[in-house]
Amino acid sequence: MRLRSLVAAAVLAAALPGTAMGGDPARGAALAAERCAACHGADGRSAMPDIPSLAGQQPGFTTLQMILMREGIRRVPAMQPFVEGMPDQDIEDLAAWFASLPPGPPQDRRPRDAALLAAGEALIGPRNCAVCHLPSLAGREQMPRIAGQREEFLARTMAGYRDGRRIGADPQMNGAVAGLSDAEIAALAHYLAQQD
Amino acid sequence: MSMRRFWLGVATALIAGPALAQQPAQAPVPGWAVGRPEGSALAPHAPRLTVTPLAEVPVAAIRLPQGFQAEVFAHGIPGARTMAEGPNGTIFVGTRVIGRVYAVTRNPDGTTRVRTIAQGLTQPNGLVMIGNSLYVLAVNRVLRYDNIEANLDTVPAPVDLTAAFGLPTEQEHGGNHHWKFATLGPDGRIYTNVGVKCNICEFDRDRFALLVSFNPDGSGRRIEARGVRNSVGMAHHPVTRELWATNHGRDWAGNDTPNDTLIRVRRSGEDHGFPFCVGDWRDPQYNAGRNCSEFAQPAALLGPHTAALGMRFYTGTMFPEQYRNQIFLARRGSWNRERLSGYDVLVAHLDAQGNVTRLEEFMTGLRDDANQKFLDRPVDVHVMRDGSLLVSGEQMGAIYRITYRR
Repeated sequence: MRLRSLVAAAVLAAALPGTAMGGDPARGAALAAERCAACHGADGRSAMPDIPSLAGQQPGFTTLQMILMREGIRRVPAMQPFVEGMPDQDIEDLAAWFASLPPGPPQDRRPRDAALLAAGEALIGPRNCAVCHLPSLAGREQMPRIAGQREEFLARTMAGYRDGRRIGADPQMNGAVAGLSDAEIAALAHYLAQQD
Repeated sequence: MSMRRFWLGVATALIAGPALAQQPAQAPVPGWAVGRPEGSALAPHAPRLTVTPLAEVPVAAIRLPQGFQAEVFAHGIPGARTMAEGPNGTIFVGTRVIGRVYAVTRNPDGTTRVRTIAQGLTQPNGLVMIGNSLYVLAVNRVLRYDNIEANLDTVPAPVDLTAAFGLPTEQEHGGNHHWKFATLGPDGRIYTNVGVKCNICEFDRDRFALLVSFNPDGSGRRIEARGVRNSVGMAHHPVTRELWATNHGRDWAGNDTPNDTLIRVRRSGEDHGFPFCVGDWRDPQYNAGRNCSEFAQPAALLGPHTAALGMRFYTGTMFPEQYRNQIFLARRGSWNRERLSGYDVLVAHLDAQGNVTRLEEFMTGLRDDANQKFLDRPVDVHVMRDGSLLVSGEQMGAIYRITYRR
């Protein structure tokens, strides 16, 4: 695990122009075991409905979102006690730890629904998902990995962006999902959740 | 701010767009990516919103002309951008994504102390000090913190002037170029920008791409300049009182076109040409047959995609005489260009008639050309009363202080 973390950190450092993110995954592991694992899973793959998996998540995304929550800009009541007053170093260490974990689907992922999968896949291009999340849907920097995420979490998140209950660091996602029907969101969520 | 109002704005914009009405399944690409060529991987650089330890602040990399030195004035200020100084010497610092306003004060031993005096705001980048009151412009919100320097530990609720100013909201901007820069004019008015609501598009030229001024109570809106795509830095000449500003050129029109510009507003209300022209450069898509000579010409070209931001006239006496009343301006650095440009501080040298005679690369070293990396992103400059110059570094959350010794 330590070697993999080091490799992950090296790859990250090379990818970021001039930004040395100082996350220590080993320290993050200890923090995560204490504060995060109960909901987000010991291996970063959430087994709880509506709670996102964080394994393999982009550290820039995890860091940004935790800071937005801590600052009161993104409001998630369940997370508030955990992020309240959390030092930057803890946030960076947690982000580095989750980034070092291999991403993968939750154990309770439901079987593929061919029709839903096809309907979701057909929306990826028109909705320009790959412009930010990359064709692999693994994300980059402050834009999240969405491949293999929990299906109901993806659906709730997209509906939140669509309905104005959620806003990111900028309103790009609100525009990207504007006008989607509940059925289209369900199809997109299924397609994304089925990607590995 | 209300997310519902924001969402309604998005929905309205989408419903109003005729192309989208015919193709309801098609979403717009993000504003920054409109016009991006197939296969291009260029995208805005991610911000860093966590504290950078002092040992990682790249002050040692800074290069200056002979006799000048750089030191770290303050650090641990994630997202530090715009600066405004209070009568008692407090440096207030505005931000964008992290939503905070900081106050930096000096301890008796010369070190600095950083307090967060406001948080949870939407892009509080516009700061202006009038007497003992700090005005914070956070997109369309305008908040006035009275007697602020006496209340840094327990900040009272601000006076809300949002309705009086009536600035366009984030949703009216479509999420583009909605953050503000603000400065106090010699006439006692607040000068600020209203950026364009897209990369480039057709828009109401009396509502967007403007420099505007207001009385401090929000009344008396006046258009100072039209056709200014987005200015995030402006200052008045200390002698002529003319308004000068930096201005960002559009994206996705090539690595080397158009230039960011330095503009000089000789006449209130004059037109600087966006979206039709930048100087004598005709926009390849939006020129609309206009002759570029009909518009005010830039005072200087500041390089393609360099992101020229905060600017101030040097009014101190510490620096050599040749810098007196010259313009120091920060270039935050490019993203919309295959090779990095900017990431430095320039001096625009002016002659007695106010013509720019020379651009000097004053503070360099933060752009690593060999590895195509940057070490920090300068956003604003501020002349201290002792004549030293502060430069904010957004990426590392630091403020550098530049001094001169003969």
